[in-house]
Amino acid sequence: MSGAPPLNAVDRTWSRRSAMRLAGIAAFCAFSADHAQAQAQGTIRFGLTPVFLTNDLELLNSLQAYLAHATGYEIELITRRTYQEVTALLVSGQLDAAWICGYPFVHYRDNLELVAVPNWNGKPLYQSYLIVGADREATSLAYLEGDIHAFSDPDSNSGYLVTRTLLYQQERQPEIFFRKTMFTYGHRNVIRAVASGLAQSGSVDGYVWEVMREIEPDLVNRTRPLRKSEWLGFPPIATSRVLSHSPRIEALTKALLSMAEKPEGERVLRMLRLTGFEAADPSIFDGIAAKVALLRGVL
Amino acid sequence: MLSRLRRLPLTVRVPMMVAILMVTVSGLISERVLDRLSKTQETYLQRLASAYLDGVVASITPSVLREDSWEVFDGIERMKPSADDILPLETVVTGKKQIVLASSDPMARETLRPLDPDFIGAFNGAGVRIDANTRSGYVRRDIIYQNQLIGAVYAVFDVSSLLRERRQILATLFTTNTLLTAFLGLIGFVTVRRMVRPMHVLETHMIDAAAGSSTLIADSEFPAANTEAASVYRAYNALVQSEMERQVLARQLAEEEKLSSLGRLASGMAHEINNPLGGLMNAVDTLRLHGERRTVRDSSIELIQRGLHGIREVVEAALATYRPERLARPLADQDFADLRLLVRPELRRKQQRLDYHIDRTIDPEPGWPAGPIRQATLNLLLNAAAATPEGGRVGLQVMVTPGELEIAVSDQGSGMPDSARSILSDRTNKQIPRDGSGLGLWIVREIAGDLGAAITVSREPGSDTVVRLSVPRTISEVSKVA
Repeated sequence: MSGAPPLNAVDRTWSRRSAMRLAGIAAFCAFSADHAQAQAQGTIRFGLTPVFLTNDLELLNSLQAYLAHATGYEIELITRRTYQEVTALLVSGQLDAAWICGYPFVHYRDNLELVAVPNWNGKPLYQSYLIVGADREATSLAYLEGDIHAFSDPDSNSGYLVTRTLLYQQERQPEIFFRKTMFTYGHRNVIRAVASGLAQSGSVDGYVWEVMREIEPDLVNRTRPLRKSEWLGFPPIATSRVLSHSPRIEALTKALLSMAEKPEGERVLRMLRLTGFEAADPSIFDGIAAKVALLRGVL
Repeated sequence: MLSRLRRLPLTVRVPMMVAILMVTVSGLISERVLDRLSKTQETYLQRLASAYLDGVVASITPSVLREDSWEVFDGIERMKPSADDILPLETVVTGKKQIVLASSDPMARETLRPLDPDFIGAFNGAGVRIDANTRSGYVRRDIIYQNQLIGAVYAVFDVSSLLRERRQILATLFTTNTLLTAFLGLIGFVTVRRMVRPMHVLETHMIDAAAGSSTLIADSEFPAANTEAASVYRAYNALVQSEMERQVLARQLAEEEKLSSLGRLASGMAHEINNPLGGLMNAVDTLRLHGERRTVRDSSIELIQRGLHGIREVVEAALATYRPERLARPLADQDFADLRLLVRPELRRKQQRLDYHIDRTIDPEPGWPAGPIRQATLNLLLNAAAATPEGGRVGLQVMVTPGELEIAVSDQGSGMPDSARSILSDRTNKQIPRDGSGLGLWIVREIAGDLGAAITVSREPGSDTVVRLSVPRTISEVSKVA
């Protein structure tokens, strides 16, 4: 999932926080009556990829509260260090649903079903950015030869697959083209690595980069996008095919699709800088699928 | 330098010594304190650095093994303390062959490049090295895994807070010691001043005494307690008392000498009076027998008058010598005529003759009081008469020059003995002749001293001994001794 939601994007002012806290208390009062029912019906185990910034506990709490309220199920949020771990849990049925990247979704297409796809600026699409230091004079990928390059995750579309495909198309091997590559297991980490100078370039989720530029401008403005990819399918929420018609997943789908219509959901979306979720057609991941197909046998 | 220091008064020297001592002691103490502080700070920094490095090494060792630059970097970032005043400025982790795996500032220490040898040189073994110039502490730690050296951590700490603490302690020490030194110096000054005050009192009295007016130290000047100073004062007062008694004794002796010389003159004077008395008696008898004859009467009366004149002169001369205060007037020719008259009986007794010569008339000069000069000259003449054998000659020459009056008395004796010469000419010899011999000469010397006159003794060709008394003209103070 290269399009992992970033840090809490909410304006961190006291008034906003206070308002949210008050809203949270109101929500608790309003829905405490449903709590016993939720317990009886069970729990939805919802996986999040590590790039979904675990340090933003406020966002996690809000998301958990909204989903619990909207679905009537108890929500258990599960995070793991790598995409691979989350994907494995999802495919093996240990998670009911997970917010994963388009690349694993394509990879495990036969085992997975879409639950919903987030809309960013009204579209279920995003880009991958190739970023460099803000002061660096580079105009194309060719300038990056010999760099230490930071990838996000080997199972990330925007944080690995896009750049890897680009090099492949130019008949270059990343291990040879770059002096050294590293996986930081987080899009924010890629930005930190490039901003600090640890790496000279990096592959990052364009959505994360744009959102973080608002939240942490001091960090992000030390980098700049050198190249933006074509528009690709936004990291989706997926479930295993066997669970796709279960009441839990139906409730979850409904809760996600109607998120923009409810104040609690609206607040979560604001934090994520998203406009909503939609039941998108799997064909939006064709671009990613094409890259996977291109590299089949190479990776 | 040392002699210049010794010339300084005690009131300056003692506070200065106190100050020098204090500065030395405080310098030593400050050095010890700062040295101790420096060691304590190094220990503190060492512990702090060890704790930090322990954390970093434990956190990043697996990443160093994998040469995972990102994890190492992330570990350094996460381990960076923020609460301490001593913060790591820079942390660099190297793998094998001192290749930089990651550093807290990758811009300065490029990843996967050999670490700058100059930077490595700033580190000194396992201990902390503090560099005051860069205000930094340098410490490194090897990363050992299964007894294999797999890398190292280099940490540079900002130690400006430690250096600031040192400066503050130095400033505190300096201020405290300066105040203490000033305070002790002041105490030294006050104490010494109190201690030497009795010496000042003593000094003032001794200077006065040397100038001739010794006075007792008054009771009011004595210290309240019976201190050493009081004891010294008492000793000084005893000395002054004895000197005063000595002076009284000297005056008495001089008086006695005067009377003694008068006594010696008395018999001569009796002759002087007796001689005219015989003529007077004859004249009276002649008057009685032939008084009716005018010529006889007139010549007898004339004779009687001359005889009485002679008697009056002798009596007046004696009175003048005995009562010198009547002769505070300036010296005149008449005084030398009186002296001739006074010594005449003594000379006659020894069948001696006086060679008297005065070159000119003496002007009235206030610096030449008649009494003391007559006394001195008389003493010299009597001394000359005593020294000259019977039938010899005694000389008295008076010369008046624009600058001085010179009185030369000569004798035909065998020369003046050294003891007598010493009494006359040695002013430092304050000893009063105990046995009476030389007392006359001692009085001459005292008078000469009062008049500012010089005395010289010489042997003239023709074996005469000459004593010269030279009295300068500008003498304002009239002697009270004679």
